[in-house]
Amino acid sequence: MKLQVKLAIYNALSKGIIIAAFGFLMPLIVEQVVYDHIDKRLIARSDRVLKIISRGGINEIILEQDCSFESYNILKEEFVSIVPLSNDAIAPETFITNEEWDVGGDRLNHRIIRQAFVYDNQLYQLNIGEGLGTIDQLNRIIVQFSLTLMILFIIISVFIDIGFARLMLRPFNKIVKEKLQLTRNPASYNFETIKTTTYEFSYLDRSINELMRKTRQAFLIEKEFIANVAHELLTPISILQNRLENMIIGNEVPVEFENKILESQKTLSRLSKIIKALLMISKIENDQYLKQETVHLPTLVEEIIAELEELIEEKNIIVEKVLEETRDFGPCNKSLLFTMIFNLVNNAIRYNNIGGKICIRGKAGIDTYIIEIEDTGIGIEENQLENIFDRFKRFNPKDGQGYGLGLPIVKTIADFHRIGIRMVSKVMKGSTVILTLPVIQKAK
Amino acid sequence: MNVLIVEDEKSLSHEMEIFLTKQGYNCDVAFNGKSASEKIFVNAYDFVLLDIGLPDYSGFDLLKEAREASRDAAFIILTARSETDDKIKGLDLGADDYLAKPFSLLELHSRMQAITRRKHGLTTNTIQIGDFLVDINNRTIHYKTQPVNLTRKEFDLLHYLALHKNRVLTRMQLTEHIWGDVMEEDYDSNYIDVHIKNLRKKLGAFAATDWLETVRGIGYRLNQ
Repeated sequence: MKLQVKLAIYNALSKGIIIAAFGFLMPLIVEQVVYDHIDKRLIARSDRVLKIISRGGINEIILEQDCSFESYNILKEEFVSIVPLSNDAIAPETFITNEEWDVGGDRLNHRIIRQAFVYDNQLYQLNIGEGLGTIDQLNRIIVQFSLTLMILFIIISVFIDIGFARLMLRPFNKIVKEKLQLTRNPASYNFETIKTTTYEFSYLDRSINELMRKTRQAFLIEKEFIANVAHELLTPISILQNRLENMIIGNEVPVEFENKILESQKTLSRLSKIIKALLMISKIENDQYLKQETVHLPTLVEEIIAELEELIEEKNIIVEKVLEETRDFGPCNKSLLFTMIFNLVNNAIRYNNIGGKICIRGKAGIDTYIIEIEDTGIGIEENQLENIFDRFKRFNPKDGQGYGLGLPIVKTIADFHRIGIRMVSKVMKGSTVILTLPVIQKAK
Repeated sequence: MNVLIVEDEKSLSHEMEIFLTKQGYNCDVAFNGKSASEKIFVNAYDFVLLDIGLPDYSGFDLLKEAREASRDAAFIILTARSETDDKIKGLDLGADDYLAKPFSLLELHSRMQAITRRKHGLTTNTIQIGDFLVDINNRTIHYKTQPVNLTRKEFDLLHYLALHKNRVLTRMQLTEHIWGDVMEEDYDSNYIDVHIKNLRKKLGAFAATDWLETVRGIGYRLNQ
């Protein structure tokens, strides 16, 4: 799960919990606050009524023995009632309560203050009530309104969180993309720091840079090592070869040694070719070849066939080729591609029988160009097929005969260009190599 | 013709010296960049054979410097680093040719001959072999006025034998010249025999080819 999603979910959840708690508590709080206000008002009113009564200033309220008084306003939201109590009753404490009160025939919920007082030696109870209907409604409206507002707030804040997280994570994505994904080899690594105000990201950036600095160092050392090994090995071979050559040219050696010198020259030449082949593989694997060209594959195949024409003729091999038109393949290294296909066609000739056949097919797919090179040669045993491209295994095949470094080079070049390669083969029937090149074909 | 061999590996420069002296060149040897630089400024050379990997000097710097000092000399870069970039860089800096180590001395010689021909714009770029006339510039071969159809490799082979006439060329030397580095390490050099057979057949249709001699077990020689 993406960090920004996680953060947004976390934020939404935590806010949700707070709001749920608030939503649960708010009606209680609002109610409490409202009752506080009503109670204060009720107490003030009852005080006023009692004052009026004690001053006797309300003569119009004629309190008669055993006569109760009740008054309410039109909407029945407030009422005042005075009820005489039996004189032997103990005067109850003043208290405030919620109660349904019959107001002019309607039983309505009221907040009521009950206070006892004595007037004219008679114990009365004063009840002043305030209707709760509107207040309950108001309470509900307030709660509803604030809950809606808060849910809206959560939704907006989730979006803002996602946006902000994305903004904040942008340097991180940039670091991953530019520093890690786009870096094919340490030599082309960009040491420029990615701009960020987040400490963790600049820390990550610095750490990756540090790592790449070390890697690059190691890479350069290896590159130099390869170049040096090549130089160190090829120079003595050079000396030996030229010395042997001088011996032959100079007629310095008796005839019986001439053949031995020739054999030595052959061995030496083989040695130098092995070194060059290994060097080539290592250089391809270290990305030391440029990929800046595009190649028209059918033309390249034609060139290679032309180059090998005489060998084909010599073995009386029939070459059939069907090369469909395709867009150019690239970016690539043309000389490496040439070597790759050359080696394959060369093998198809080399391991073929006299009068055999080679079929070269080029098929344009949707996003590929498939080249198949099929021969009618000696084929390869199935158990050796998987090792055929492996440069380490090939030195110990069962029959003691190697296949040369041609195929490992082919495989390395294919990997370098992200070309798929596989081989199917039947002993004494022939082999087929199938190359799948990533070429996006556009509709004509 | 004067040749300066700039090569820090003494045995190698010694072998080159022996060979080139035998071919009639006057050889001078420098084992490092400093002495090479001095020699180039003092003496006039026709050829400078320059190892790019010198201990004290970048071969490319030396090449640039020497190119300016000695405009007439032809430079052939010798290197064990078969980097394509090196090759391009060297040729850009004015080198005339480039040979990767290990190279055959015969190959070196034929490159030098080719440069000489180019430099002096030799008008007679033809070689007479038996009854055949080889035109190197146009890459054609004629028997009297009749053209003989040869493949590219057959022509290269005949040309190479003609360049080193009266000398035995081994199958390996011929293979290396014709195929360069593309062939694998255990490649069968018997293909040379095939080419020779075809050559004899094609040329033999016009005239005798007894000048092309097979040297048993070794290779071939063009006698004249």
